[in-house]
Amino acid sequence: MLLLTRGPMAWHRLSQLKPPALPGTLRGQALHLRSWLLSRQGPAETGGQGQHQGPRLRTRLLITAVFGAGLGGFWLALRAEKERLRQQQRMEALRQAAVGQGDFCLLDHKGQARCKADFRGQWVLMYFGFTHCPDICPDELEKLVQVVQLLEAEPGLPAVQPVFITVDPERDDVTAMARYVQDFHPRLLGLTGSTEQVAQASHSYRVYYSAGPKDEDQDYIVDHSIAIYLLNPDGLFTDYYGRSRSAEQIADSVQRHMAAFRSILP
Amino acid sequence: MAAPSMKERQVCWGARDEYWKCLDENTDDASQCKKLRSSFESSCPQQWIKYFDKRRDYLKFKEKFEAGEFQPSKTTAKS
Repeated sequence: MLLLTRGPMAWHRLSQLKPPALPGTLRGQALHLRSWLLSRQGPAETGGQGQHQGPRLRTRLLITAVFGAGLGGFWLALRAEKERLRQQQRMEALRQAAVGQGDFCLLDHKGQARCKADFRGQWVLMYFGFTHCPDICPDELEKLVQVVQLLEAEPGLPAVQPVFITVDPERDDVTAMARYVQDFHPRLLGLTGSTEQVAQASHSYRVYYSAGPKDEDQDYIVDHSIAIYLLNPDGLFTDYYGRSRSAEQIADSVQRHMAAFRSILP
Repeated sequence: MAAPSMKERQVCWGARDEYWKCLDENTDDASQCKKLRSSFESSCPQQWIKYFDKRRDYLKFKEKFEAGEFQPSKTTAKS
């Protein structure tokens, strides 16, 4: 092929030469290729000009390539198996977490006992607060109710259960909770309980809360972390939403989680 | 002492908003808004009044801070 670069004069000279005599020409190369293809299966009779080692080298290369491909395939299969095992272990861990993690047993605002297992099969939006809250809890609960209403308006979506859990069990008994939740949404469930039960529930969801100092009226404000928690129908904690998220943003996010949801429990 | 109901909360917030509007108009001169202050104090639980006062201080501070009125000190010496 180098000869082609030497210009039209050289090419003219070359074209007058007999093709088989010069291995560098195009025709010579074509012949060489043909003989290689013919001789691929075994030792060569027409091994091409001066390439007696060719077929054996080619065969060796072919065998190496096949062997390499086999090894590669084997490695890929092992990797796939390892990945499958890892997924299986993860599923198992998630199943255990779904049942054990974030478990709580509390009283609802009608006096009925409710544990986390009672909410299986439902999407739950939870908020931790207290009834004596000046502004944040009512605002966040209004937002939560708006999210529930936005989702109710969408056809074909499962109903979301809104839940309000108190971090002030001293004052927020069943009656207080019933009085509080009625102002927001007919399906809003208020949950309360003993100090230990509330502590357990808050701990499960990493909710910080701390009662402030009491004034002359024995009134106090409870400082607490502010978030709306989303639980999926398997009871697994799925997402949380802070104060900066609007109702529309939360509703969008919940819808996306619903679309992506695959149950892992039997 | 029972927690305020939704209506009571809204009355309290309304009184607070009136009081704060007056303060905004009078550049935080509390003496001009005494009547609204007493109305605010009678509509809300004491704890809430303390809380809302602190909240107002915080909101004012945040406004000033965001307007860039606070500069970090140039030296590391204690003031």
